[in-house]
Amino acid sequence: MRRPVSYLALLAAVALIYLFMLGPILITAVVSFNRSDRSYFPPRGLSLHWWGAAFTPQWTGAFVFSLELAALSAIATTIAGLPLALAFRSYEFPGKAAIQAMTLGPLVLPSLVTGIALLQFLTLAGLGSWIGLPALLIGHVVICLPFSVRTIAISLASIPVSAELAAASLGASPGAVLREITLPLARSGVGAGMIFAFISSFDDVNLALFVSSPRQTPITVQIMQFLEFGFSPTLAALSILSMLVPLALVALCGRVVGIGGYLQQEQGHA
Amino acid sequence: MVPYLLVAVPAGFLLAFFVAPNMILLSASLLESEGMVPTGVLTLGNFTTLLSHRIYVDAIIRTFGIGLAVGALVVLLAYPVAYVLVRTTSRWKNVLLALALSPLLASVIVRTYGWWVLFNRDGAVNEALQALHLTARPLIMLPSTAIIIVGLTHALLPYGVLTLMAALNGVSPNLERAAISLGAGRMRAFAATTLPLTAPGIIGGFLLAFGVAISAYATPAILGGPATQTMATLIYTFMATLLNWSLGSALGVVLLASCLTLLMLTALVSRRRALT
Amino acid sequence: MPEGRMSEAALELRGLEKRFGAQTAVAAIDLQVQQGEFVTLLGPSGCGKTTTLNMIAGFITPDAGSIRLGGRAVENLPPHRRDLGIVFQDYALFPHRNAAENVAFGLRMRKLAKTEIAARVADALRMVRLDGLDKRRPLQLSGGQRQRVALARALVIRPALLLLDEPLSNLDLKLREEMRSEISTLQRRLGIATVFVTHDQDEALTMSDRIAVMRQGRIEQIGTARDIYERPASVFVATFIGSTNLVRAKPAGPPSEGLVPLATAAGPAILRLDRPLAAGADLLLAIRPERLQLTPTGTAPDGSTAWPVRIEGVTYLGGRLEIALRLADGSPATAHAMNLGAMAWQPGHVADAWFRPDDAWPILDGGASDGAAP
Repeated sequence: MRRPVSYLALLAAVALIYLFMLGPILITAVVSFNRSDRSYFPPRGLSLHWWGAAFTPQWTGAFVFSLELAALSAIATTIAGLPLALAFRSYEFPGKAAIQAMTLGPLVLPSLVTGIALLQFLTLAGLGSWIGLPALLIGHVVICLPFSVRTIAISLASIPVSAELAAASLGASPGAVLREITLPLARSGVGAGMIFAFISSFDDVNLALFVSSPRQTPITVQIMQFLEFGFSPTLAALSILSMLVPLALVALCGRVVGIGGYLQQEQGHA
Repeated sequence: MVPYLLVAVPAGFLLAFFVAPNMILLSASLLESEGMVPTGVLTLGNFTTLLSHRIYVDAIIRTFGIGLAVGALVVLLAYPVAYVLVRTTSRWKNVLLALALSPLLASVIVRTYGWWVLFNRDGAVNEALQALHLTARPLIMLPSTAIIIVGLTHALLPYGVLTLMAALNGVSPNLERAAISLGAGRMRAFAATTLPLTAPGIIGGFLLAFGVAISAYATPAILGGPATQTMATLIYTFMATLLNWSLGSALGVVLLASCLTLLMLTALVSRRRALT
Repeated sequence: MPEGRMSEAALELRGLEKRFGAQTAVAAIDLQVQQGEFVTLLGPSGCGKTTTLNMIAGFITPDAGSIRLGGRAVENLPPHRRDLGIVFQDYALFPHRNAAENVAFGLRMRKLAKTEIAARVADALRMVRLDGLDKRRPLQLSGGQRQRVALARALVIRPALLLLDEPLSNLDLKLREEMRSEISTLQRRLGIATVFVTHDQDEALTMSDRIAVMRQGRIEQIGTARDIYERPASVFVATFIGSTNLVRAKPAGPPSEGLVPLATAAGPAILRLDRPLAAGADLLLAIRPERLQLTPTGTAPDGSTAWPVRIEGVTYLGGRLEIALRLADGSPATAHAMNLGAMAWQPGHVADAWFRPDDAWPILDGGASDGAAP
């Protein structure tokens, strides 16, 4: 089929937009192999020096801390999100609308504001010692919960009600229906919710900025703090490293849980 | 009984760590304070302080300006991508979709860093300009509100693509074909059918990008400076550097109110969509 | 049968009632299903048949009335203690389990030994002719195969009662007819009491021992297929099942030798009835189109009812012709004629439409009674 000129012009424009979307990330990747100590692009000479620098304790500590925080957040978010999604789906009860609104609230409020609110609350409540891992974990569960509840709700909604009725008619008690039918069929939503929570936590800057402690700082905040003093190609290497984690996660688990269908649910945390 | 058993713990958690902190934020913005500790005196002083200093007012105005520009640019750039992704029958469709969405996996810091590399004093843009003898010495392009806008547009583009794809998926390609069969040109057919039918998606994408842009911290912090403060960077300055939590809370409330207004606008748009 | 004595009805509903808000979905239903009997609940959507089924299954709690399964009161038992086999409209197969695991589910819930489960699952799959497909997931099965898995899954637990909720409505026509006879055969062979819910009159007429026609939450008539079709208790039953001609009528004199004279809008008529009609009763005479025959004026057989009609149109239906008529009072009627080759009847012709005394049935106008006096 011959394409009309206007369509070719559209394709050309889209190609340029793709360049715009992917260019900066590629540039960052290339800069990390720079030999010079400035972030030259194109790089002047190749070196793995900055990658080596990225693997010093200053950075690996924060990196590992971020991984731990993200894993804990993913697990805690799922533990909180699953009963919420189940209750929202199967029951009508007084206060349901209010609890639903409260659950989805963090989705529409800036996480930066959630961060400063949490900081003040903990300080005033005499829980200043929680600043660090506990506060980060709490904050990340708050901001990840809406994703988790929504992805689980979507997978629950796709279960035919009759499958659960059929199980009951075959002699399965309510507990057995949950264990044998509902949860196995909601697995992909739970998995996708966990992956989103992990990535949201791992990539979060806005909330972590306010409730990190000097000894418990995620990699994103560490980079932001370093940026106040200057730039270094190490940061490029670290940026790429921190991008590879979610990428690997999605590549590994994405197929298993069919993450694609849930991607539409994610919202901004810039 | 059963539903309350299920929701009790998570709902209690949210009450304690989401609702209560926001209440405290709201009250802190309305109380006088000595440093970090609020006193019991009610005041609107925090808000009048924000509105009586040029630098704060500028930051608020700049933030909304950035939001408007980013919202418009995101829609403008995301629409052609979404259109091609929805309408193409190419076997590369899934690869192209993955490429368009892959930046979502990267932290916003990664997505912003590349722009700094391009535009900093020793960056690629300056190198190129000097190599072409267009300038004798490097231009100082950062900090810059314009480049903050570019950086945020770049960071939020995937969300725009997702929103517009959802809208375009609901419009049958046969509508444009029908218009063409009735004698309209390609552009005319698009403007008469698909464009108006995806208006809710356009508005939705704009509002989403606007909302995230006005509350973004990392991008304006990396690409901006003291002369290009936004609400988010100013809140950080209040909270972390100046330790003036009352002003920080007040500005936080302004940001919160802006986002809630946006939410209501979005709800309004989607209700109209439901009605039509 | 594990439960109850053979003398007990497999299912007995008494005064079963359900309201949703101001809406009465099921209004005081009484129904008995004997051991081995196949009873169909037939009616249009919203007539309460599915609500009734859901109450029997335990998915909906009745507002009043009792449900007994094999003599055992179950209205307070949760669904998983009722020991029923249910086949759902969408089959409700567990998508994450293969055919054999689906069939085994109810046996696992009953904590049977692994070896017994395996044996019974294999038997059940063989019974529905699915041996060899036991490892397939529902998505890898055709519509008819899914249907069979659902049937095997419901039957393998040897339930006291089988409930079928419009199980054929998702199949295409040919498969539907095939499954219809397969289910019937299986049900007779196993001798399992069955309640079948459908809105499809053909399914009801061909499969059932008895049919309960439902309307607005009530059972309008219950009887054999022949009762329902040939002796409808109400206008609703007469028109919901098949098509019928309805002609206003009144008794026109005392019966003699089982024959009752009537005065109708189309002319006088004679019926054979085993009971007298109340004098002056307002009746509607129901005559099925295939029982109304056309003949040249004045040539109707002796002892039959003959009415003058004008032919309005003839529709060609292949095996038969549908002939639109106008009766003496100007009201329309329909007659069916075998397509025997010659197109004898043309629009505009005048003829006699006739029927035998056994071919019409009186319905009391506006009522649900059969019009026969007590």
